[in-house]
Order: sequence, then C-alpha cells, then structure tokens
Amino acid sequence: MQVFRLCLKILKKQIPSMLIYIIIFLAIALIMSSATANEQQQDNSFTRAKSNMALISEENTPLIDGFKQELGKVANFVELPDDHEALQDALYFRSVSYILRVPEGFTESFMQGENVQLEKTIVPNSISNTYIDLCIDQYFNTARLYVQQMENISQESLVQYLKSDLAVGASVELKTVSDQSVNHNYANYYFNYLSYSLLSVLILGMAALMLVFYDSELKRRNACSPLSSKSVNLQFILAILVFTVLSCLIMVTFCILFNFKNSLNLNTVYFIINSFVFAVCGAGISFLIGNLVKSHNAIPAISNVVTLGLCFISGVFVPLELLGNTAIKIASFTPTYWFVKANNQIAELTQFGFADVEPIFSSMLIQIGFALAFFAAALVVNKKRRFD
Amino acid sequence: MIIEVNNLVKRYGDLTAVDHLSLAVNDGEVFGLLGPNGSGKTTTINCILSLLEYDQGEIEIFGQPMTPESYNIKRDIGIVMQNVAVYNELTVYENIDYFCGLYIPNNKLRKKLVLEAIDFVGLDEYSKFYPKKLSGGLLRRLNIACGIAHKPKLIILDEPTVAVDPQSRNKILEGILELNRQGATIIYTSHYMEEVEHICSRIMILDKGKAIATGTNGELKAMINMGEKITVQSNYMSAEQLAKISQLPNIVSAEHNSPLLVIKSSRGTNNLETVLDFIKKERIQHSKIYSELPTLNDVFLELTGKELRD
Ligand SMILES: Nc1ncnc2c1ncn2[C@@H]1O[C@H](COP(=O)(O)OP(=O)(O)O)[C@@H](O)[C@H]1O
Ligand SMILES: [Mg+2]
Repeated sequence: MQVFRLCLKILKKQIPSMLIYIIIFLAIALIMSSATANEQQQDNSFTRAKSNMALISEENTPLIDGFKQELGKVANFVELPDDHEALQDALYFRSVSYILRVPEGFTESFMQGENVQLEKTIVPNSISNTYIDLCIDQYFNTARLYVQQMENISQESLVQYLKSDLAVGASVELKTVSDQSVNHNYANYYFNYLSYSLLSVLILGMAALMLVFYDSELKRRNACSPLSSKSVNLQFILAILVFTVLSCLIMVTFCILFNFKNSLNLNTVYFIINSFVFAVCGAGISFLIGNLVKSHNAIPAISNVVTLGLCFISGVFVPLELLGNTAIKIASFTPTYWFVKANNQIAELTQFGFADVEPIFSSMLIQIGFALAFFAAALVVNKKRRFD
Repeated sequence: MIIEVNNLVKRYGDLTAVDHLSLAVNDGEVFGLLGPNGSGKTTTINCILSLLEYDQGEIEIFGQPMTPESYNIKRDIGIVMQNVAVYNELTVYENIDYFCGLYIPNNKLRKKLVLEAIDFVGLDEYSKFYPKKLSGGLLRRLNIACGIAHKPKLIILDEPTVAVDPQSRNKILEGILELNRQGATIIYTSHYMEEVEHICSRIMILDKGKAIATGTNGELKAMINMGEKITVQSNYMSAEQLAKISQLPNIVSAEHNSPLLVIKSSRGTNNLETVLDFIKKERIQHSKIYSELPTLNDVFLELTGKELRD
C-alpha cells in the first residue's frame, strides 16, 4: 500500500489550503445555526396562534366536512368570494395567509385511492402555514391509510375513524406538532452551501494529487519498480475514494452537530445520501480538472472559478428564482443545480412513499450521470495528454 | 551475464537515437557509457528498463528477456534517473522510505535499509528536510539514496553527478565504488570522461547512438595511435630547435606558444626521455616539464574527429 499511503500524505499536505474553505463554511454554518435557532423559538410562541385561511370547496362531502372540523383547530376560516382578484387581494393584504381549494371530484377520486391534490395558494415564508400543511397532511395521510387498508369504507365511517384517531392523538399531537415543526430550512441551506465547500476541497486535493501522480519523471521512476501499474492505479483510486468520502463525511457530520435537534429524521438521511452522490460528482469534476491543470499555481484560481461559477448559477448563494429563466435553463446543465434541487425537494418532504421520493432520486441519478460524464471526459483528456 | 543488449534500435521520427547498439555487462563490473549530450545514453538506459518501446533488438537482464511486466527482474534493479525524481511533498526520509518500500514490504527491514542509505549518502542531518530545501548536490544524493536503498544486484545510474559541487561529486563516486565492492553490478553513464575513467572497469563510448569503442580504459587508449603529450615551460627557443624537436623519433608535432611548448608523441617507449635529452643537449631554458597520458577525450577525438567536451 505504498502508493495509497503516498497519496494520503500528499493530500495531507493540502490540508492548510483546504482548511480555509472549511473554516469559512463552518463559520457561516454556525452563524446560520444561531439565526435559525432564534427563528424556531418564535415559532413555538406561534403554536397557539391560529392563522387565517380561506377554504374554498367546490364540493360538499362528509370527508371534506370532517376535514373542515379538524382544520378549524389550527386555523380561523375567513369567508371570501371565489374570485381570483379578491383572493389575490386577500393574500396581498394578509387578511389570509393560506387559501386552500378542494377541486370538484376530489372526494370521489380520493376514496378510490387515486393520487389527488388540493390546490393551495400561500403567502410565502409564513411559518404559521406549516401547521395548516401539517394538519392537511395528517388528515389525508391517515385517511389514505384507511382507504388503502379497508376496501369500500364509507365516507361517514372514515370520518368517524379519523375523528377519534386525531382526537386520541390530540394531547400527544401538540407535542408532535412542535417536534414535527422540524425546520429543514437550516439543513437545506447548509447542504446547498456544502456543495461549494466540498467542491473546493475536492478540487484542491485532487488536482494537487494528480499533478504529482502524473508527473512524468516520477511516473517513470515508479514504472521501474516491481509494482504493477494495475496495483498502482487501484491504490490511487482507493485513495481518491477515501479522500472523497472522508471530506464529505466531515462536512455532513458538522451539520448534524450544529443542527442536532432537527437532524433525527428521514430528511437528514436523504440530505446525506444526496451529499454523497454529489461528492461522487465532485470527484469527477476534480478528476477532470486534475487532468487539465498543468501547474500547482493554477489550482486555486481554477478551483475558485469553477466552484463559484457553478454554485452561483445553480442557486447555492442566491435563490434560483431571482436569476431568471435563462439562468435556470443554463443551470440545469450543471450537477450543482440538481444537487440543490434535490436538497430543496428533500426539505419539503413530509411523506416518504415512493411517489414522494421519486423526484429526489431522479435528481440524484442525473448527478450520477454527470459524474460518469466527467470521469469519461477525464479519461479522454488523459489519453490525449499521454500521446502528446 | 547481467545485461545483454543485442542490436538495439530506437528511432524518434527521422532521428535514430540508438543505432544498432549491442552491449554486454558482466557480473561485478562497473560499466560506463560515455558520450556527449544527445548521444543516446538515456535512451539506451530507458530501453533497457523497458520504459520505452524500441524499434528493433533484444534485451535480456539476468538471463531473462526484459519486458514492462518483468517484475521479478525489476525487483533486483536500482535506478537513479538523470532527472531527479523525488516527491516534494515528502521529506528526505519519507522519500527514501517510499521508494525502498516499492521493493521491500517488510517494515522493520525497510527501516534499517533506509537509515543505512541515508548514512551512505551522508544525509543524516537532513532526513527531515523537504527536497525543496536541499542544494543541488544534496538533492542528487537523495536521488541516489532512493535508487539504492533496497540493496539491488544491479544499479543503473544515469548522469548522477550533473550540476553537482565537487565535494558531493567525489562522495557520489566513492559511494558507487563502495556499492560495487559490496557486490553490485553498476552501469554508469556520463559525459565526464574523468569520472568514467576513474570508476569504470569497462567503458563503451557512444556517439550519435552508435557504439564507437568498447573496452577497459587501457584498451581504449591503446586503440589510438597517440602517446603522451609533453609540455615544457620555456620562454625562448629558436625556430630551428623547434623544427628539430618535431623530427625526433615518435614525435608527431611540436608547437611553441610562449611560454608553453607542447609536444605530441605517437605511441612508443621512452618518448619523454628523448625529449629531455634533447632539451639538455640544446640547453633550452625551461622551468616545469610534465607529461600527460592520452585521455578518453583524445580517444574520442581521434575516433570521431570532434571533442567530447561540449
Ligand atoms: N522524447 C523524445 N522525442 C524526440 N527525440 C528525443 C526524445 N528523447 C530524446 N530524443 C533525442 O534522442 C537523442 C538522444 O537523447 P538522449 O538519449 O537523451 O541522450 P543523452 O542521454 O546521451 O544525452 C537526442 O538527439 C535527443 O534529442
Ligand atoms: Mg541523458
């Protein structure tokens, strides 16, 4: 394992320059963490305040009536005319923060087990809406369970079951509500920003490693030894792998440390999986850059251009919505975009059925596709370089 | 036979870097490849080590054909490249340990060998230094230590003394002789004839990829028709005397550029005596008189018509 150990030693030498990125990253993460902690305390005092909402139902069924009753526990209903402009005004002037529309035929489809959606219009970033969302999810998720388990259950008995279920859970429910009010904003932000630091670290380390590894004199010297080139390459790949996983692991660990309260849930698992997928992609990018770069001095500059560019256009620093449609189109050709997108999707997750996580997995798959493309490109460059 | 190269040809496009070269290195020899820059020494070494593909020829080491996959052969070779090949990220100790570790997996044995190698090249005080902090001479010594730490049977050194201070150079040359005494067969390339003359038991002279002569130091010098060169410090002599000197038996030429009289003789005995007798007889005033045997440079000059030195 001479070569493997050599690689690790070379990488260790890069730690000082990588540390800059990690420290900045962690500093920002800590500041963020204390900021969101405050936000969450306010959050708790909101629990008892009901927010105003409008429920516009295009149908009248026992299921919806039961729903209305449950919803009444967390929201005050405001009567509004079903008129587009009036509704917009109400939202604008904050007379309601949530408008929910039950489309016609909803109940029928729902009872048949079809995947149907309520239409919601909300004031963005209103925390109290979370409780309404939770209430909706809880009611219909439980209802869906009954529909799936008991064939031909009538609406009336379903509502009865739901009523007792949700009532039984009532005292507990309050707690779960405050626990459940897990705010994924912090994790979402942390993991998005992680792409920048992780990418920087990977590029710095890998490019430095490859400059040494592909140095023609040293390569020649190593070729004189009884070590087969296969073994050399395997050890090199192993070193890259360990480096990538370790870098990712360290950064992910810090998130969990900073945000422990909010970390014990499935969302975190998905965040972590997504980070590792992105790390593989980052390894691909670094491998390609490592094959292109010709001098040690060029590494930090290239690393900065690539990471800042990728992260800026993909909505790591600035929400994508602010960048406009063209930017989003361009961004979708970058792996960071899909990483950020997956993170944002994960932050929204409350259910973990296949249909819910499927879009996340497709974002991850796209990242893996990018990773493969980068590795392939790197091999082509590598071959070309050897012939020159 | 340690190495046998038969009819090796290596071309770079139109340039034939190694031209139908054959050589044999015997066990226990210090075999020198002497030639000016660009004569094909490094290319020959790289072909022997299977680092380069060649156009023609056969190469055997330790009696087996050498290929890029001949790991058993490589295990017993120590190589010191012309260009220093060490890791700037590793210290002196770590570098030697790394290269030694490519051959010696056993930690305990390796540690002993590494310390021996450090001691051998005299880098004890520098073992924690990084290569960037070493002078040219010390760096060369590190390069050598990396090549020989595993105590190989065959050691190939490609111009290990280029750009090295005289002190380091002597240490390196003595070290190579010591390795040879300890039983290693050595191949040594250089464009410095003094070095080759000093340490090599057999020498091949290369020019433009061709072997133009092979033999011991004495054998090579015997190939040419030149004897000693006699230099007399003398401020004055007549043209007549000068002409007479050139007519002495075995004397090829005599030139007087005050204060030096340079007399070249062809091979033969008592040339110096003849000259001395003449000077005494003619009462030519003089201070120092000294005589030099022909050098490999003279050999090279006579065989190729040009100087070996750049
Ligand atoms: N990679 C190469 N491509 C083309 N020509 C080369 C290459 N390497 C060496 N040469 C040429 O081959 C000849 C022999 O070079 P080399 O073996 O390095 O000589 P030496 O080691 O005796 O100085 C030189 O003319 C050199 O220019
Ligand atoms: Mg050379």
